[in-house]
Amino acid sequence: MIKFVLMVNRQGQTRLSRYFQPVELSRRAALEADVVRCCLSRKKDQCSFVEYKDFKLVYRQYAALYIVVGVTDSENELSVYELVHNFVEVLDKYFSRVIMFNLDRVHIILDEMIQNGHVVETNKSRVLAPLTALDKMGD
Amino acid sequence: MSDVVEKTLTALPGLLSLDSLPGSNKLSSSSKLGNLIRGITELTSKHEEEKLIQRELTSIKEQVSSPNTSMRQMKELMVRAIYCEMLGYEASFSYIHAIKLAQQGTALEKRVGYLAVSLFLNESHELLLLLVNTVLKDLQSTNLIEVCMALTVVSQMFPKDMIPAILPLVEEKLNHPKEIIRRKAVLALYKFYLIAPNQVQHIHNKFRKALCDKDPGVMTASLHIYLQLIEENPEGYKDLTTSFVTILKQVVGGKLPMDFNYHSVPAPWLQIQLLRILCLLGKNDQSTSEIMYEVLDESLRRAEINHNITYAILFECVKCIYTIHPKSELLEKAAKCIGNFVLSPKINLKYLGLKALTYVVQQDPKLALQHQMTIIECLDHPDLIIKRETLELLFRITNAQNVTVIVDKMLEFLRINKDDYTTIDLVGKVAELAEKYPLIHVFLSFGGPLLPENGKKIVKYTSHITTLLYMLK
Repeated sequence: MIKFVLMVNRQGQTRLSRYFQPVELSRRAALEADVVRCCLSRKKDQCSFVEYKDFKLVYRQYAALYIVVGVTDSENELSVYELVHNFVEVLDKYFSRVIMFNLDRVHIILDEMIQNGHVVETNKSRVLAPLTALDKMGD
Repeated sequence: MSDVVEKTLTALPGLLSLDSLPGSNKLSSSSKLGNLIRGITELTSKHEEEKLIQRELTSIKEQVSSPNTSMRQMKELMVRAIYCEMLGYEASFSYIHAIKLAQQGTALEKRVGYLAVSLFLNESHELLLLLVNTVLKDLQSTNLIEVCMALTVVSQMFPKDMIPAILPLVEEKLNHPKEIIRRKAVLALYKFYLIAPNQVQHIHNKFRKALCDKDPGVMTASLHIYLQLIEENPEGYKDLTTSFVTILKQVVGGKLPMDFNYHSVPAPWLQIQLLRILCLLGKNDQSTSEIMYEVLDESLRRAEINHNITYAILFECVKCIYTIHPKSELLEKAAKCIGNFVLSPKINLKYLGLKALTYVVQQDPKLALQHQMTIIECLDHPDLIIKRETLELLFRITNAQNVTVIVDKMLEFLRINKDDYTTIDLVGKVAELAEKYPLIHVFLSFGGPLLPENGKKIVKYTSHITTLLYMLK
């Protein structure tokens, strides 16, 4: 299962964090800093899957942003790697039409894709349908 | 690089980090959240960050308590509170207002209220009870979007004791004409099953109906429940094997609508889910396995496209073939597949190949032998992750002839490794091997130079090995 999803910049600042297993607030910053340190130290030609403590990290870099997903050992790493890309493509599909920065909207999109640590929807149109409907309601 | 990816790469930092994109200033200047994030980004010390966030929290606290704050403003305040909590600063004063926002807000306001609740609270939080009435109301709303929101939040967290109050409403939604409602209702039931399995025992036949739903999304949602049920009791679901095989056949054969494709591959994550289910059902069961051979063969053949996601499906396919009752033609094809992975210059594939080899090597030791040279190369690979995975593989193919070499390689790795968990794991493996193949020189190696940080744990294991060796003498 998916334990968490993080988006961090190269300076190690968290841009988005979502935990699918409860982690105390006070422990999150340290975990995130450690995870990020681990990924930032990797080179371009190295594996995108890192063993971290008793689970694994799957990370993917997009220009100045790192997306890191913590997964249990039973997860198919490459499928999570591509899930991250699917997520990025969904964001691109949405934000290319609606030019507004919103942390809440990214969360709402993530809500449609991953629930309880499992992948629940990967069809881009279906992922975005509830949010676009909400946008219309607000207009 | 494709157009989409190019555009995404340049747009993404601007969307989320507000770093250096022209025009991003324009977008964020009217947003208080934007200002806050920009403020944080520019700081360099933790102390300064604390000060800024505390100021922010004080301001938010004042505004949420004011009777003049509109729901629109409340939405904005909640997002800022979410941001502060994300950085690790508690904003528990805002929790009750998140619930209020979900209750009193409309459209996006309501949605953000629900979002904030799902981020702030947890299953056992006492405030969660206050959400139940709002959820019950929204579930009965004529506005389908509100029904969706309620179902979404229920799938994320719900107080176990209140399930009986909501169950009939959710069950009713299973028959809704709109697929999104049916799908979300199934996911809510999945959640209920996770937190209180005995509460949903009586509706197994409704899961079945969802599995046969004409909409692929609803069917996919039911697979989550089935995977769980089958993991717990494979025997009870063998009769569904044909259904799962048929579904996989249809997916692989491209029968789903185009928007289920990801880079021309039909519903890859769905394929992976189905393969996992089939794997569980076919294990140690010849007759059930025989039902699957054809579709597994088809999956192997169809996966021609050179894309990571295809390889991910192949990996799952190979795992399945090696777990269920063996069929030689399939095993041959799967072995070839693993070979291609291991020999691939792409490092992620090499990793997957090694992982697959580790999984299958007990059934097929010849395969590892076939790829000996590559495995030896991987041992000296600059990437520690590859090295580590290779050692994992080697551990499983140790015999009296190669054990000394393998243990030496493990000790060599231990000297450069910095991660505690890996150290403990590897030392344990060395100890196991030392017990199996009495190795005096291992004991001597342990007495030798080791990294100081690993010292304590190694000493603990050293005495363990000493005891073992003493007992074996």
